[in-house]
Amino acid sequence: MSESANSHQTRSDSGDTAHPQTTRGVNQLGYRGWSGDRQSGLTRWVVISQVGVRRAWQNLWLKRLLFFAWLPAIWFGVGFFLWEQAALYPDWRQMIAPIMSWRDIPHTPWFDQIRESFRNGNLGDARHTVWAWLLYIFFLYPQGVLMVLVVGLISPPLISQDIRSRAFLLYFSRPLTRTEYIIGKMGGMWVYLSIISLIPAFVLYCMGIMLSPNLSVIAATWDLPLRVLAASIVLMLPTSALALCLSSLSQESRYAGFAWFAIWILGWFTYFAAALAETFNAQQRMAHDGRLVAIQETSWSLVSLYHTQGYVQSWLFGFANFSDVWASALVLSAVTIVSLFVLYRRISAPMQV
Amino acid sequence: MSALIDLVDITKDYGTFRALENVTLQIHSGITGLLGPNGAGKSTLIKVLLGLVKLTSGHGRLLNYQIGRQAREIREHVGYMPEDDCYLHGMTGVESVQFVAQLSKFPEIEGLRRAHEILDFCGLAQERYRTVETYSTGMRQKLRFAQAIVHDPPVLILDEPTAGLDPEERQVMLNRIRLLAKDHGKAVLLCTHILPDIQSISDAVIILAAGRVQVSRSLAELNRPTNPSLEVKLNDKSSIVDSTSFVEAMSRRQIPHSTQPNGTLILQGDQHQLSQIVWQVASETGVGIRSMTPSRNSLEEIFVNAVRGDFQDE
Repeated sequence: MSESANSHQTRSDSGDTAHPQTTRGVNQLGYRGWSGDRQSGLTRWVVISQVGVRRAWQNLWLKRLLFFAWLPAIWFGVGFFLWEQAALYPDWRQMIAPIMSWRDIPHTPWFDQIRESFRNGNLGDARHTVWAWLLYIFFLYPQGVLMVLVVGLISPPLISQDIRSRAFLLYFSRPLTRTEYIIGKMGGMWVYLSIISLIPAFVLYCMGIMLSPNLSVIAATWDLPLRVLAASIVLMLPTSALALCLSSLSQESRYAGFAWFAIWILGWFTYFAAALAETFNAQQRMAHDGRLVAIQETSWSLVSLYHTQGYVQSWLFGFANFSDVWASALVLSAVTIVSLFVLYRRISAPMQV
Repeated sequence: MSALIDLVDITKDYGTFRALENVTLQIHSGITGLLGPNGAGKSTLIKVLLGLVKLTSGHGRLLNYQIGRQAREIREHVGYMPEDDCYLHGMTGVESVQFVAQLSKFPEIEGLRRAHEILDFCGLAQERYRTVETYSTGMRQKLRFAQAIVHDPPVLILDEPTAGLDPEERQVMLNRIRLLAKDHGKAVLLCTHILPDIQSISDAVIILAAGRVQVSRSLAELNRPTNPSLEVKLNDKSSIVDSTSFVEAMSRRQIPHSTQPNGTLILQGDQHQLSQIVWQVASETGVGIRSMTPSRNSLEEIFVNAVRGDFQDE
């Protein structure tokens, strides 16, 4: 290449013959061919993801949010610490005894196991269940809410700005498929979602291992990292597909952002109102019949993506049977498939004109 | 010489609207001008070449890659400069050129180096560090050109590359295109409405109208008039008497001629023989010759005739 480069350097090939008086800088070599080694084409989506990550990082609110996103991990870390200390030192059991006697803890096989092991003083038997429960709650409450906020900050401009600036022609005149484009856009979101969910959950697990009495604990809890990974996928895939779909529906990012928050907030409130009404009715019946009716789940949970995700994650962490959550899994799958379908159509549309 | 682009009976329908109808053409190396009125099917033809739209019927090859089936390989070897004002939001000029280089499989650092080199070539100096949204029309035009050539493609498809440029910049842009074609062997498909651009740098011309190829010829062939003739302008200082005697001398030699309103004398016949006679007669009559040029067909006239369907392809 250097030989041809030198030969090009000697030629006046800037095309700037209309400016014979123009002096050219020492670095201006004119046009030169390029024959270097190219990278594998399999990672083209990574380039799009990198740009997405860099652009999102310019948002000051996102930086603040990511900082606060790790605070819950510290809280849950304390949970791991207390349980492991109680497992090692009987004195520490007194500290968690009040928690174990809470009336609000439901009587399920998993919690009964925890109570039993606590009563027996053999906390190691319930280690897997406790860790899984802590990780599940970590995903369900703090990180589930933070996910909505983080995606709401990152996703709205991802495709809507490409539509507005007609950047599709720049992307798709390159050897780039629509699938690579979509994965690339999702990749940027997955990085930030991993930072608030997958990575802190793994850190919590590793912390639990380090606090435990010996490495045999790994053999007893080896499945938890896989469950964390699966729960993260449940958190990331439907949400990123839905967020990109909304972003592709408008040239205005703010509409996409508004729609995103509206879906989660309205869904949550609809569920809350319906569940409240059902609970009220059930309490009326309880009072009338003189018996207790436990309300575990309402069919209205399907209108709330937040709760739908929570149910599927509860199954992934082993706190529900698939027969209980299949409808939620179906809803999440449907949301993902429909979102991707619409997304493909919207991306293809500008090329068809 | 084998064609770089070879299309056979290409038809493309958008619903009930036929955008391209049985387009058959060959494009060789050098600069080929693609002309046509609005809605003629130029943009659709470009999208077909890039594999952005599916063909209704027909087949074709670009650099030995099948159009439609090997769109990815084609896009690796084609640099496309869109007419639309498209840009990557929030990126600086150099970042956006580096980005498209990376999409063409350049390593990150090499993509950045190449982006700077190409922006130097395209005449974007310190502006390259500004976000693209702040660019003027001319700067965006240069940026799109840089994005089209950054990966050193053998084939360039340039859609209105000089639109929105001032006359000086337009000339520089044409020089760049000419340089890439002549010195670096790139095949250029130049799509524009500016006929003088085509006239000044193209080797061949394709005229599309109503989705059909009306003309596909080399520019030299198109310019050659059906009846050869010579346009002679006499020196302004020549007196009317001298001019008249010059015309009479031509008549005596039985050379068919006519005089245009601007005073240009059109002599019909073999251009080489006529030029010798003109010098001889000028010497005899003492008339000064200001210019003597072989007459040629006007591209504008060819274009208008082709769009009307009156062009006679010989």
